[in-house]
Amino acid sequence: MKKNVYELKYRYHTGTVAWILHRLSGLALVLYLVLHIWVISNLNSPEGFNKVMAFLNQPLFKLLELGLWGVIIYHAINGLRIILVDFFGGSKSQKKIFWGVVVVGIIVFIAGAVPFIGNIK
Amino acid sequence: MKITFKIQKFSPENDSKPSYKEYTVEAQPNSTILDCLNDIRWHYDETLSFRRSCGHAICGSCAMNINGKNGLACQTHVQDLKPGTITVRPLPSFPVIKDLVVDLDKFYEKFNKIKPYLINDGPVPEKERLQSPEQQKLIEESTTCILCAACTSSCPSFWADDEYLGPSALLKAYRYIFDTRDTAAEERLSVVNDKHGVFRCHTIFNCNEACPKEINITNHIAKLKTALVTTKL
Repeated sequence: MKKNVYELKYRYHTGTVAWILHRLSGLALVLYLVLHIWVISNLNSPEGFNKVMAFLNQPLFKLLELGLWGVIIYHAINGLRIILVDFFGGSKSQKKIFWGVVVVGIIVFIAGAVPFIGNIK
Repeated sequence: MKITFKIQKFSPENDSKPSYKEYTVEAQPNSTILDCLNDIRWHYDETLSFRRSCGHAICGSCAMNINGKNGLACQTHVQDLKPGTITVRPLPSFPVIKDLVVDLDKFYEKFNKIKPYLINDGPVPEKERLQSPEQQKLIEESTTCILCAACTSSCPSFWADDEYLGPSALLKAYRYIFDTRDTAAEERLSVVNDKHGVFRCHTIFNCNEACPKEINITNHIAKLKTALVTTKL
């Protein structure tokens, strides 16, 4: 008998959204780490280093770095939420904890992004 | 008031894939979805198949997907849903036998895997095996499960892994592992500590949202995780 597949039409709620964002941010971090290691493994000479750094100084990469900062923050703080849920009885207030993650995340993001943007020139 | 239902129909003999059929019925705001389905079967389409039995949210037969969320048809009232067409589908991720009836064989198989019965080889007491109120409290919530399968069918980990024990079986595992009268906790913990066991739970909370008995299933699974991690250390 065939499986009844239409799971993607299932109704989303706080927990689902938190999980999907956690998965996507995790995948983004893996992709970033692979690219990062690939780039630094190609830095063999001073000229090469300068070339790569000049390339990475484009505004697009600055924007991506800000995005990376956001992704790291979400994945790290929501990771703490998952630890609270799994080992410290946090499941009863998981929705509140999620909104806590969002608020703390935004604060930390801004705290890091302001000096970062200030340094761009 | 007139309510339109969009119901997933599938008959394995005649259809290659499921289709939707619409029915408009007369309903009261406090009518349950089960009332409406009965009305449709009795007056509009006698071929419509669904399971139901007690009609009072205790047998667990009529679990289905209503407006994208799993729940019991007999416990869901028309007035509690978003106004407009009500979409009814069978429980996700189980094979469909006909219309809203799904094959739960594998669901029960997993349930049996965790040995859902009291195991105690100690001497049999003259009367019953006593528990203190505190000991009972530990398992009270988990004993209210009615095995409707709404939770397991709502779980994305189960959608991705057919062999995953699922929230329902794990909840039942908790119920016996933390029962002070039972002596087979270790045996059950080893069943639960499997590739398709408790660590497949990614705390998505779909099971909690779906449970008609409002059991905090994720919390019970978390307790199992904690038990496994602490005994391993």
